[in-house]
Amino acid sequence: MATAAEQWVLVEMVQALYEAPAYHLILEGILILWIIRLLFSKTYKLQERSDLTVKEKEELIEEWQPEPLVPPISKDHPALNYNVVSGPPSHNIVVNGKKCVNFASFNFLGLLDNPRVKAAALASLKKYGVGTCGPRGFYGTFDVHLDLEDRLAKFMKTEEAIIYSYGFATIASAIPAYSKRGDIVFVDRAACFAIQKGLQASRSDIKLFQHNDMADLERLLKEQEMEDQKNPRKARVTRRFIVVEGLYMNTGTICPLPELVKLKYKYKARIFLEESLSFGVLGEHGRGVTEHFGISIDDIDLISANMENSLASIGGFCCGRSFVIDHQRLSGQGYCFSASLPPLLAAAAIEALNIMEENPGIFLVLKEKCARIHKALQGDSISEHLPDVMSTASAAQLANVSLFFIQCMDRSIALTQARYLEKEEKCLPPPSIRVVVTVEQTDEELERAAHTIKEVAQAVLL
Amino acid sequence: QNFKYIFYCNGRELTFCFLLCFQQNGRPHFYDKPIVESFEEAPLHVMVFTYLGYGLGTLFGYLRDFLRSCGIEKCNAAIEREEQKDFVPLYQNFENFYTRNLYMRIRDNWNRPICSAPGSRFDVMERVSDDYNWTFRFTGRVIKDVINMGSYNFLGLAASYDESMRTVKDVLEEYGLGVASTRHEMGTLDKHEELENLVAKFLNVEAAMVFGMGFATNSMNIPALVGKGCLILSDELNHASLVLGARLSGATIRIFKHNNMQSLEKLLRDAVIYGQPRIRRAWKKILILVEGIYSMEGSIVHLPQIVALKKKYKAYLYIDEAHSIGSVGPTGRGVVEFFGLDPRDVDVLMGTFTKSFGAAGGYIAGRKDLVDYLRAHSHSAVYATSMSPPVAEQIIRSMKFIMGLDGTTQGLQRVRQLAKNTRYFRQRLNEMGFIIYGNEESPVIPLLLYMPAKVAAFARHLLNRKIGVVVVGFPATPLAEARARFCVSAAHTREMLDTVLENLDEMGDLLQLKYSRHRKSARPELYDETSFELDD
Repeated sequence: MATAAEQWVLVEMVQALYEAPAYHLILEGILILWIIRLLFSKTYKLQERSDLTVKEKEELIEEWQPEPLVPPISKDHPALNYNVVSGPPSHNIVVNGKKCVNFASFNFLGLLDNPRVKAAALASLKKYGVGTCGPRGFYGTFDVHLDLEDRLAKFMKTEEAIIYSYGFATIASAIPAYSKRGDIVFVDRAACFAIQKGLQASRSDIKLFQHNDMADLERLLKEQEMEDQKNPRKARVTRRFIVVEGLYMNTGTICPLPELVKLKYKYKARIFLEESLSFGVLGEHGRGVTEHFGISIDDIDLISANMENSLASIGGFCCGRSFVIDHQRLSGQGYCFSASLPPLLAAAAIEALNIMEENPGIFLVLKEKCARIHKALQGDSISEHLPDVMSTASAAQLANVSLFFIQCMDRSIALTQARYLEKEEKCLPPPSIRVVVTVEQTDEELERAAHTIKEVAQAVLL
Repeated sequence: QNFKYIFYCNGRELTFCFLLCFQQNGRPHFYDKPIVESFEEAPLHVMVFTYLGYGLGTLFGYLRDFLRSCGIEKCNAAIEREEQKDFVPLYQNFENFYTRNLYMRIRDNWNRPICSAPGSRFDVMERVSDDYNWTFRFTGRVIKDVINMGSYNFLGLAASYDESMRTVKDVLEEYGLGVASTRHEMGTLDKHEELENLVAKFLNVEAAMVFGMGFATNSMNIPALVGKGCLILSDELNHASLVLGARLSGATIRIFKHNNMQSLEKLLRDAVIYGQPRIRRAWKKILILVEGIYSMEGSIVHLPQIVALKKKYKAYLYIDEAHSIGSVGPTGRGVVEFFGLDPRDVDVLMGTFTKSFGAAGGYIAGRKDLVDYLRAHSHSAVYATSMSPPVAEQIIRSMKFIMGLDGTTQGLQRVRQLAKNTRYFRQRLNEMGFIIYGNEESPVIPLLLYMPAKVAAFARHLLNRKIGVVVVGFPATPLAEARARFCVSAAHTREMLDTVLENLDEMGDLLQLKYSRHRKSARPELYDETSFELDD
């Protein structure tokens, strides 16, 4: 009978309920409660889809106003009024119409108007014309370039050298060729802008250490060592570099190279040395800061310098062992994707190198002149043995800065303020006046310059 | 309104673009210049063999690496110092795989040294290798009078000294070579001011500023113009300097397909409507980066459409006219003149002096407020040395020559000669059946070779026949599209071009390079039409 069957099923169910284990019943109870909750809760709201209508889109396009391409700049922005030099920027310079003695161009060895250099360049102009019309890979390599690379390598006593056609691009292309994302670079705080741009292009981890402070650098290196021990697999593929300058452009001090070399071998980091200001200035034969300290050149992995200061030409070079330098021939951006150096500039650089090799005495003369002007400018914060003196003045005093330079030029001393891009520098150096010593300046001119600076500073700045 | 007709003619896709632009007073100004470009695809068997070739090279590369690591084969590459053997290796092994095993085999086709001016003919120094291209040795002999199809000498202004260069000699003797200071400090000479005024006059803009290196012009000025919170829309095939400048600026970069206006428009719409990702704020500025002529493709930018898009979406346009200044346009003023547009429509005109002017350096030109801003804020003006005076004088001389300010019409004749040479060369190459990329009027002509072995054979054989060509492979081009790139010059005479063409014909038969599927493509009658009637 149906009812009996139903009753029987019901009895079975109740019996099963009694016989079921406790956890089973509890689980089923929870599930039933959950289902009831879901049935009665509010519907789940998805993220709003921004389905704009075509009309709305057109309105948005109409309404949008971008910023102007360049912000307006006032007419008397100091950077807009350049000092215009009429004629060659040599020892006696005509700037803004006034005849002055040049204390502002980095013409350390006075080769800017040397007749031999000009004659060599002229011979090259006659043979090759001016431009090279192609990058090094595509018929832009001239025998002059190969010559210059050979001569530079021999002069610096390294295996190989590579030439770039612009000084700024040299270190800015060399660093990203070796250091990539994930590598670590320890760089001095006072590094110049070209190095900063090279580091930015490399996308590596940058660790700044206090200027010339080896203890701070060692602390950073030790920290890195601790990190390495935590993750040895990663440490095995992370390259480390230390980037320093031989003679710092922003502070005028020399880097402590012997300590750096010790740290290099202790912590296994490679050293890249930027010698734009110290090439042709420091050292017995002008070979730079390695010769100054008597360190073997093989201890430095890469030396980069520009030819625009002592060699009075345009361009830059890197030198070192072939193992290191050869890589840049395919991965240095400023080398592969840019036209090569005009041959007349390369010929001028070769002749300037000849002159440097023939008269090693000029480096001593330069050193003496630096010492002289330091003594004369005593009382301001300066450092030793430098061809490039910075006398720092506080920002408040520099309110009448342009007046200072105009008055100096009226007394026929051409000086300039050290220029920086305030917003772009990582660590902005304090404002300063650049005084550049060259071999062509006579003692009397040096004395007069120091005297003028002090006098005008008293009158205008203080 | 733009009308675009895509024609299929003998299997070849030709793109005709007719532009109907209305001037302020409402009268239509009709450009009937068809943009004829072709990027033909190779037949399938060619692609198969190309990949097979690379595959074989890679296999052999692994084998040789294995032998070198075993010590069976001597390793010729430079190695690390003994004292630094326990440092982290400077190069990852795989990074250099391609260089070590594939590039090294055919390395003698690049970096060929020359010892004369890079004119229409030059002298190549002979070099041989005793150890399969690991090192080279000069025999001392010089291969004289090689026809130069590789240097960027579009107007033939790169030549050894002659009387017209007297002013350069005078400036060299008076000013010397270096400047040893930056523009902001003591490095601005009166020569630079003269040059900047002349460049502004040449380009018909308000002001211009010059820099010492073309590459650095891009990489140091784009960061000064845009920064974080701005958007850069850059073409797929932009030059390394533009890419570096865009990266250094810190702005967001989005890439659109090469010369593809639909892709660009989509990106522009999305950018304006949706703003910055995640924070949904509007972009501060949008900058479109394009080049005038793309050197690896030979294509010319579709400028009228880009200008129309830029005006509609209020973006800014930056054109890099490195290859197109001096070489296209009826009087050599670049792509802006080529399309008959107003230079004021382009916000930033950038170019270099290396190619058509036979010197070195770069410039940026545009409105006066733009140039004033760059004078104060460009990285190059503050930190990098200014241009060398004799180089500046060479540019002044060349520009006056092209503009006709030296009293002759030779400059204009050279521009016309270049256009004639370009058309002739391209037409003959097409008739022979090679695959040529790019716009019909671009003096940069890529000829597709595809297979890596043919790349080497082509360059070596042609040097034996005293013709110097440039071949390019991976990574400058896509892996399977290795090519030879010819740069036609106004200094090439008809005889020189004919010699080159004959030799190319023979090489094409020898190496089986005539891949094009429509050999005798006589020009269709459509080209002869000069006016069309269009309905609304």
